[in-house]
Amino acid sequence: MKFVDEFRDAELGRVLAGEILAAVDPERHYKLMEVCGGHTHSIYKYGVDDLLPDNVELVHGPGCPVCVIPMGRVDDGIAIARAENVIFTCFGDMMRVPGSEQSLLEAKAEGADVRMVYSPLDALRLAKANPDRDVVFFALGFETTAPSTALTMKRAKAEGVSNFFCMCNHVTIVPPLRALLDSPDLRLDGFIGPGHVSTVVGARPFEFIPADYGKPVVISGFEPLDILQSALMIINQLEGERCEVENQYTRVVPYEGNLRALEVMAEVFELRPHFEWRGLGFISQSALRLSDAYAEFDAERRYETPGVRVADPKACQCGEVLKGVIKPWECKVFGTACTPEHAIGTCMVSPEGACAAYYNYGRFARDREVV
Amino acid sequence: MESLTPHCGHTSGCITCGDEAIAMKVLRVDRERGLALCADPGGVRSSVETALVEPVEPGESLLVHAGTAIGRDSEQGVAA
Repeated sequence: MKFVDEFRDAELGRVLAGEILAAVDPERHYKLMEVCGGHTHSIYKYGVDDLLPDNVELVHGPGCPVCVIPMGRVDDGIAIARAENVIFTCFGDMMRVPGSEQSLLEAKAEGADVRMVYSPLDALRLAKANPDRDVVFFALGFETTAPSTALTMKRAKAEGVSNFFCMCNHVTIVPPLRALLDSPDLRLDGFIGPGHVSTVVGARPFEFIPADYGKPVVISGFEPLDILQSALMIINQLEGERCEVENQYTRVVPYEGNLRALEVMAEVFELRPHFEWRGLGFISQSALRLSDAYAEFDAERRYETPGVRVADPKACQCGEVLKGVIKPWECKVFGTACTPEHAIGTCMVSPEGACAAYYNYGRFARDREVV
Repeated sequence: MESLTPHCGHTSGCITCGDEAIAMKVLRVDRERGLALCADPGGVRSSVETALVEPVEPGESLLVHAGTAIGRDSEQGVAA
């Protein structure tokens, strides 16, 4: 299959692994963070980390929007879902994320009308098909998903759909990266940059990382060879004493991003002054809400929500995992009290979460010798 | 009947959690409504919003996320 077979070719993978081995300084330890949950998933699924030398360590970043949703926001969503006459819609994984007392799936089991959708446009269609009900869409995701929500809100406004509302939880990628880089307990050498977020925002927003923090960034595709090549490009920068933003994923990512998507986002959304991230705390200007021009569609203005900050369960170490301070298996409840079927922390809920990815693909690998 | 469990399994990824888009091929274009009928690599067809990448033509490969095309999957730019 075009672009799939080529980028999963085992022989080419071994060649790249050899080039990485030849490029590294054996005396040096390299700690590279893959920002995006999609990369984490690919790394475990294809065993990319097994192809890397011992001294090249991959650290999993905060790029899974489900994993960073705090429990208080889940509770707010459930409160809206339980309101009279509401059809509450969200993406599949969000239904399983635990709130302080239950998940949206459990609220559904108790009678709330919670439905899974594949796109915000599906939720809008549901609103048009049910004019006597209020349809609320739980919007979630980084800049990859936000344009889809923005276009849907524009469409709802243009078509005069008055029973469609959005609970906006869209987050932005740059502020948490800055927060991570400012974190004193984090030591990183470079970043494997998010491929599809960059399709929208472009490569420019990441230029502060080499400029202000002296760390290379390589925007990467999601196939195993993409990730290996990106790791090699970062190591070449480090060994060549270069430090810049490079784009490995040129077949998809334009350096300036998708300007039309950025325009529509700027029209529909505005930055929240601050937003809570699971494990990372409150980060200023790190999330989006509907702009005043779209206030009539804002579910948070229409419905009462508890709006209470809920502390994470004490046993859960999602915060340290999201910051790359500990590996998933180093969490006390990993694989015992916390599994994909009965998740305590969000990193175990989403397949792109570092814990779930590790549980599914990598939990036996750490004892294996690197080949 | 609508499934009570999320569709995205732990082996296949999810439409939002990794914020990862998929490449889809354009089969038919509805310019008036700003939509295109597209097929994913497994042949599953769905209607895709094309406002952010217009103009699109049948046969093109689009990068689709949550029902919206956010970019193109260009053959020319393929890195080795």
